[in-house]
Amino acid sequence: MSLAFDVLLAFGVVFTAAAALGTHDRVASIAGFVVTGLLVALSLVRLGAPDVALAEAAIGAGLTGALLLRSAWRLKPAESRVSPPIDRIIVALIAVCLSGALAWAVYTAPGAALYPALVSERLAESGVTNPVTAVLLNFRAWDTLLEIAVLFVALILVRIVAPAHPQPVVLGELMLPFARIVVPMCAFLAGHLLWQGASVPGGAFQAGAILAGGSLVLMLGGFAVPTPRLLSWGMMVALLGLAVFAVAALSTEALTGTLLLYPDGAAKIWILMIEALLTLSIAAMLCLLFCGMPRRPLK
Amino acid sequence: MTSELIYICAGSGLVGLAFYRLATCRDMLLRVLSLNVLAVGIAILFLASARDAGMTDAVPQAFVLTGIVVLVAVTAALLALAEQIDRQRDE
Repeated sequence: MSLAFDVLLAFGVVFTAAAALGTHDRVASIAGFVVTGLLVALSLVRLGAPDVALAEAAIGAGLTGALLLRSAWRLKPAESRVSPPIDRIIVALIAVCLSGALAWAVYTAPGAALYPALVSERLAESGVTNPVTAVLLNFRAWDTLLEIAVLFVALILVRIVAPAHPQPVVLGELMLPFARIVVPMCAFLAGHLLWQGASVPGGAFQAGAILAGGSLVLMLGGFAVPTPRLLSWGMMVALLGLAVFAVAALSTEALTGTLLLYPDGAAKIWILMIEALLTLSIAAMLCLLFCGMPRRPLK
Repeated sequence: MTSELIYICAGSGLVGLAFYRLATCRDMLLRVLSLNVLAVGIAILFLASARDAGMTDAVPQAFVLTGIVVLVAVTAALLALAEQIDRQRDE
C-alpha cells in the first residue's frame, strides 16, 4: 500500500516538473513549479525528513514561487528561438545518461553512515532533542552563521542592482477577510514552529519563512505600504539576526575558548535566543528580497 | 530499500529534466526555474541516500535545509540581475 503511494508520488513529482518545464506559458510554468514543490515536500516527509519538508513547502514552493511570479511580470520573454532538433536530441540523450548515471551512483554508493551515531551520542549535551536543530544550531552552528551571511550578501546584491519598485496594486474586496485570517495564523504558526523546533520538526528557518509570507500578505494587500522608512527598519531587523549571531559566536569564544561551543548546561537558552532573533531576521530578509529596497530615501 | 530506489529515480529524473531545460531554453525566468528544479532533485537524491534502517541521518537533513535557504537567496539575486539585464537591453 505505502509502496503504491510512493510510486504514485514519485511519478507525480516527475510529471508536474515535466509539465512545469515543458510549457512556454510562464504563469503555468510557475504554477507547475509550486505544485512540484508541494509534492516534493510530501515525498520528503515519506523520506523521514519533516524539517526539510516544512522548509521546502514554505521556502522552496511558496516564497520562490512568489519571487518567480513577481519577476514574470517584469522580465520580457526571450524571443522564442527554438534550438534545432539535432541539438535537442543530443541534449536529451546527455540528460538521460546523466539521470541514469546519477541514480546508479547514488543507489550503489557504499552506505557507511558515520553521523547518526555521533549525533545521538552527543544529543543530550546539545540542549535540544530534535537532532536536526541540534546539528543546525549547535554542532554545525558555524555553517548556519555563514548561511545567514549568504542571505545578507544576496540582500545587498538585490539592493545594489535593483532599485525598488514595490507597487502593490489594489486587490479585490476579498483581500481583507483573507488577510484577517491568514496574517494572525502566520504569526501564530511561526511562534509555534519556533518553539517546537527544539524537540520536534520545526525551527527558525521554517518559522521565518512563514512570518515572511504573512508580511508579504500585509504588503501586497496594501495594509503596510513599503515606505522607505519601513524598508530601512526591515533592513535593520535583517542585520540584527546576523549581528547577534556573530556576537554570540564571539562571546562563546570568550567564555569557553571555542567558537560557538555554548557554556555547559546553558545551551538551550543560547539556542533559543539565537533562534528567536534569527526568525525575525530571516523573515525580514526574505521579505526584502521579495519587495526590494530603494537606494536612497525618496523625496 | 525499494522506496528509496523510487525516490532516487524521481530525484535523478528531476535533475535530467532540469538539465535538458537549462540547455535548450533561452528565457531567463525559465532558466532560474530550471535551476530550482535541479536543486530540488539533488535534495531528494541526497536525502534518499541518507536513509538507513528506517532512520534519516540528521546531518544531510541540516545540509539540505541550509541548501534550500541559500537557494532562495540565489534565486532572488539571479532574478534581480536578470531584471537589470532586461533594463539595460531596453536602453
